[in-house]
Amino acid sequence: MSEAVRPGAPRSAALVRQPAFWVVLVLLAVGAVRISQITALFLKSYPVATLTAIVLFGLLAVPFWLFLSELDFLEREPPSLRVLAFAWGGLVATSVSIPGSTALDNLIAKLGSPDLAAEWGAALAGPTVEEIAKTLGVVAIVLIARAQINSVLDGIVYGALVGLGFQIVEDVVFAIGAVRSAGEGDQVQPVITTFLVRGFLAGVWSHTLFGALAGAGIGYLVVNRDRSRARRIVVAGLALFGAWASHSLWNSPLFRESLGDGAVALLAVLVFKGLPPLLLVLYLVRRAHDREAAYYVAILATVRERDLITEGELRVLGSGSRRGAARRHAAASAGRKGRAAVRRLQRAQAGLAVELSRAGADLPDEATHARAAEVREHRATLAALGHPEAVEGTRSWRHTASTLGTAAVAIAVVWVALSALGGS
Amino acid sequence: MGRVTRRHLTDLPGTLGLPVALAVALILALLAFGLPALDRAVPAERTVESGRPYLVGAGVTVVPPAGATLDVTGTRPGTDRGTALFRIEQVRYAIEVEPFDGDLTAAAVRLRQRITGTSGHQITGTQLAVSTAGGLAGIQGGYTAGDRDGRYAVFVANGLTIEVMISGDDTDLGRALPVIDASTRTLRYENR
Repeated sequence: MSEAVRPGAPRSAALVRQPAFWVVLVLLAVGAVRISQITALFLKSYPVATLTAIVLFGLLAVPFWLFLSELDFLEREPPSLRVLAFAWGGLVATSVSIPGSTALDNLIAKLGSPDLAAEWGAALAGPTVEEIAKTLGVVAIVLIARAQINSVLDGIVYGALVGLGFQIVEDVVFAIGAVRSAGEGDQVQPVITTFLVRGFLAGVWSHTLFGALAGAGIGYLVVNRDRSRARRIVVAGLALFGAWASHSLWNSPLFRESLGDGAVALLAVLVFKGLPPLLLVLYLVRRAHDREAAYYVAILATVRERDLITEGELRVLGSGSRRGAARRHAAASAGRKGRAAVRRLQRAQAGLAVELSRAGADLPDEATHARAAEVREHRATLAALGHPEAVEGTRSWRHTASTLGTAAVAIAVVWVALSALGGS
Repeated sequence: MGRVTRRHLTDLPGTLGLPVALAVALILALLAFGLPALDRAVPAERTVESGRPYLVGAGVTVVPPAGATLDVTGTRPGTDRGTALFRIEQVRYAIEVEPFDGDLTAAAVRLRQRITGTSGHQITGTQLAVSTAGGLAGIQGGYTAGDRDGRYAVFVANGLTIEVMISGDDTDLGRALPVIDASTRTLRYENR
């Protein structure tokens, strides 16, 4: 059984001394110029609609960004690399995909037929070009920050962020395309409709999901070095194929006409086409998270000092839901300060586990001491609030009611949107 | 947990650095420039049967002009919408069919907005009423786009708008317009 986590060494050379960094930087600059040119054209023709689209889809990115940033709680990815992944998706992958996908669609029409391109062009051309361009973003991150890819979960997070960047820019382009097609001038209505369809209803199943799947493969390729190189390359290839297949299924004409236009039909399409890859990615995330958590918790279990971590906190730290329960318990007993203190303590304990894993790889342990001091500081803060241990409390009826209420509201909102867009 | 060995530190793909980065750039270049170059290298035009109706999409047919070829890059037939692109020498003759819930006036306004919404495009002259042999009523007009002139026409039939866009330089357009006008008059909607 290979290790779930491959501890990363601190970078031995500054980024600017790495030739690969400059190659990636040039690619990002070229992508930025291209997307700026397109945006300038949009702003010239439809300024209000373009700004509305940028703001709406920019806001849509926020919850995805926060969720993805928290996904790997125990070993968070540095903000600079998260930004890099997002920028690759939004600038490089989109710049490449616009001409590439169009050309491949044309080739399908030329080498096959216009009917084939009309039916299956979007399902074949888009995924082929886009999934490759996005996956190369995760490879680029590996090239310049190998030390930060320590688990499959890291690959999932970076892949999802590349996909998110791609999704947001693509959605803005589609929104302005809808404005142009509507032929009503600089109106925001087509932007709103595009936001509801592509952002709200289709957002969850879109590029973020496909990118996460492909990123998992790159994570496996990089981390599982106890496996043979051939096996890792095959697994990475299968993950990329899975992303392609999910994207292709989503774009395919399957179920498009057989189920009609109503809200139920729209829901059925979302479920049939979007749910399988979503469940697959959720399974991978869960598995990767649990393996990573077990690894770091096992490292922390070797620490015998109660002021660094207790038995109860060890149990809590490995599970996202238990970490949340511990924060709620602290909020109930020590207010918002207690919640914040528990959060900081958990973050510091996670950081300590990462540094301990690196210390095990014979690397300098100054960082370990610094992290331990940080944990003690947060422990002292928590103790001063009268809440000495970051553990779960008993489940409250308020939390259960809040969860059920939120779920009911979410279902109602989705149903209203489906009804409005489905025309029933 | 094992130690980090030399093999680990020289494994794929993190430490291959520059060669892999250049390979990444090369793949991106192939996607962004190679595929379009290949697309340009493969001919797009197909012959169409003269005098026989061609299905544009959503039940709308047209008899292509004599001597026209079909450009498959602009042709996408479908059950609820569709496009067809014909070429007569350097003249571009495009037909687009899509669902529409307004009347003919609204369809004409929409098409003109789309034309003027494209950088460098301007409407010229006045609009005229046109009709097809099958009885579809429409509106046509003209526009300019830099060094190219253009004509547009729009029809509405049974919840569909049929938009015709013709463009080319002045000389070519003058030669091709009679046969294109004749073709446009063959536009027909068949309720299937």
